[in-house]
Amino acid sequence: MTQNEMTSDDSTDSTAAGTTSTPDPSGEPLVDQSIEVDGTDGGAQAGREQVIEARDLDVFYGDVQALQGITMSIPENQVTAMIGPSGCGKSTFLRCINRMNDLIDAARVEGELHFEGKNIYDDDVDPVALRRRIGMVFQHPNPFPKSIYDNVAYGLRIQDETENLDEKVETALKRAALWDEVEDQLDKSALDLSGGQQQRLCIARAIAVDPDVILMDEPASALDPIATSKIEDLIEELAEEFTVVIVTHNMQQAARISDKTAVFLTGGELVEFGDTQSIFENPEHQRVEDYITGKFG
Amino acid sequence: MATTEPDVDWHGDDSSVNHLRGRAFEAACLAATAFGLVSVLLLLLFVANDAFRPLSADSGWLLTYAATVLAPLAALAVYYYRLDEPAGEVAYVTSGLPVVGVLLTGGFAVMFIELLSILEWFALVTSLVAAGGLIVAHGRLRPNAALERLVVLFGAPVVTVLGTPPAQFNWLVTDLAAALGVDFGLYHRVISLREVLLRLPYVPTNWLLLLGTLVAPLAVAGGVFIARRRDSRRAGFAVVGATLVGALAGLVTGPALGIGYGGWMLLVAFVALPVGIYVEGVVRRREGVRGLAFPVIAVLGVAIGSVVVDAAGFAGPDSWLDWGFLTSATSRTAADAGIYPAMVGSVMMIIVIVLATFPVGVGAAIYLEEYAPSEGAMGKFVTLVEINIGNLAGVPSVVYGLLGLALFIRIVQWPQGSIVVAGLAVGLLILPIVIISAQEAIRSVPDSFRQASYGMGATRWQTIRQVVLPEALPGILTGTILALGRAIGETAPLLMIGAAASVRLAPNGFFDVASMMPRQIYSWSSELEPAFRHGVLAAGVITLLAVLLVMNATAIVIRNRYQRE
Repeated sequence: MTQNEMTSDDSTDSTAAGTTSTPDPSGEPLVDQSIEVDGTDGGAQAGREQVIEARDLDVFYGDVQALQGITMSIPENQVTAMIGPSGCGKSTFLRCINRMNDLIDAARVEGELHFEGKNIYDDDVDPVALRRRIGMVFQHPNPFPKSIYDNVAYGLRIQDETENLDEKVETALKRAALWDEVEDQLDKSALDLSGGQQQRLCIARAIAVDPDVILMDEPASALDPIATSKIEDLIEELAEEFTVVIVTHNMQQAARISDKTAVFLTGGELVEFGDTQSIFENPEHQRVEDYITGKFG
Repeated sequence: MATTEPDVDWHGDDSSVNHLRGRAFEAACLAATAFGLVSVLLLLLFVANDAFRPLSADSGWLLTYAATVLAPLAALAVYYYRLDEPAGEVAYVTSGLPVVGVLLTGGFAVMFIELLSILEWFALVTSLVAAGGLIVAHGRLRPNAALERLVVLFGAPVVTVLGTPPAQFNWLVTDLAAALGVDFGLYHRVISLREVLLRLPYVPTNWLLLLGTLVAPLAVAGGVFIARRRDSRRAGFAVVGATLVGALAGLVTGPALGIGYGGWMLLVAFVALPVGIYVEGVVRRREGVRGLAFPVIAVLGVAIGSVVVDAAGFAGPDSWLDWGFLTSATSRTAADAGIYPAMVGSVMMIIVIVLATFPVGVGAAIYLEEYAPSEGAMGKFVTLVEINIGNLAGVPSVVYGLLGLALFIRIVQWPQGSIVVAGLAVGLLILPIVIISAQEAIRSVPDSFRQASYGMGATRWQTIRQVVLPEALPGILTGTILALGRAIGETAPLLMIGAAASVRLAPNGFFDVASMMPRQIYSWSSELEPAFRHGVLAAGVITLLAVLLVMNATAIVIRNRYQRE
């Protein structure tokens, strides 16, 4: 994998920490999780490269602090879910990863967030270049008011990768499990598709440029249950090739599809982060248990 | 089961809920609306009556046309409205398309008569195409050389269309030359491709030029449209072929009809081509075919009516607003007075306004909406600018006239009352309106599109160019056209910059002194002879309103078309 090579090239202490950790598949690494949340150690994940690492990340909107000292690392080629009640900062954290918060004048980010070993908030990082490696799918399906074809080709065209465009569009639509439904209507407006199809089109659009990471901000919250289950199946398939980070309100969804889960609670704190199974079956913190069992939130 | 009315008091028949104030308010609002509309309508009817004087016709004339044209068309309209709505749509388009086409034809005819010879048109179009070709070719060959592209973008039009200004005006060159001790002479300049074409010793005849630069491109556009829609190259070629043959027929039929081959070719390109494509589509789809009856019956009705009127010797109305009024210059006698030169002046002024305000206005709107920061010192400055644009939109037009006078005549020393000065002064007046409406249009593009684009790794420029502008364009165009509607009726700035009170000859260039429609109407209002003040004035007002109506209708059509999709 190219990513592995790239990270090991400019290997920082973070990736070193990731690789030297105990080779434990998944099961009961509860101790590691709590340590990680406290920020005393990097991600201790077995045999996986840590693609994204946040170190003591604070985000402010004007005077309001939206995220407090987030430290976590997101492993490669897995689904990492972020759950928590409304306003807990999970979307804010997601949008920090590809610097979409730059578009909000009032937002201010402190701390470090490393992508493949490079702090993305360094002065010499171009957010446009970053976003070409880290794609995003939004809460509401937002295809452009163009044809289906033009939607998928958008990212390729803006990056001047227009060779074999037809082929690449077809591949992306197939990977997004949409090809069979739109095969003979590529010239039709994307807005004529159903909500679920639109969202899969947005996923196709995001993966057409072959990014390393796909961020998903509650991608199924505006969809009906059938469309939701299609998206969930798709996400699990995508995790074989991409690193998927997904924000969701729906705890069952997080439990179903994710390998790792981060629980944010009110005030912008990351309270617990670990393997999904252990978070849901045996959470470390009482507040997390209360949230997961539905006592609040 | 016997039910008795239960004895409850919640259902409000004891007027515990008071609707009186609400109803009174509703009635008052309705009355205000009706008052405004009715009073404007009455005024328009009054003016139209003065302009057309329908009652001066024999009653036989009126009855004939009522029977042959009005009655059948009214019956058809009722039929469409009640029973066959698709046909009504077809009737609407088939009647509207020829009107728009004829107006365009008229516009181009006036342009060829007053402004450009056909050879000059050919040179202009060819060099513009060459400039576009250069820019596109550079983009293809060196897609990544952004700076170079900028140079080509601005350099290509200079090389092909403008040429460099004479050294006399080109201070940099003259100063440099003087410093180097070289005498460039007064008129040393690099001439453009356009000027080269104009000086060619041998040029094709006019009809060939017209066919090549105006009819053929439109025919090809129609052909491509049909070929795409029908998915058949043959159909496309058939359209192109039919149009060219139809246009060539004008070499014989045009002069025979007294409109010349030029008039015929323009009619073929602007009227026959679009109407033909539309009618053929309607017939093929078999949807609303009955709507085609409307224009046919209208033409037939007019033809039969004129035959009957001729035979019976009924006299028509003695309208002020007739063909003569539209095609002749103003005169000392009311009966001969016309509005033609002022109309040409107005149209040329609109051209200046569009060229000056559209790029500046849309550019400012894009900056304010997409680039300007909302925080910090710069953000405060931008807020100040936005407030002031709002204020400028409300500044009286006479003030803009004064500004134009000071800026363009006193300082820049352009000729007093010339079209370019009028256009720029009125352009400044509508600039804030263009900016504000373009801002509204840009703001109405959903933010989710921008987010999606940025999320894909698009730069701000790519997002604006490929997502925001295409989406905002209909709104921008609608707002601009409505602003132009305001511009064409402005009088005060024209008075301030000294536009001619009345001219006998239409202007031939943008630095000519000219009169514009509102200015001409204003001069008629102060004539001593009552016929001017009542008749000619009314005819002028109706002409101006008709132009306005066409512009507003265009704006509405653009808006509706894009709303549907």
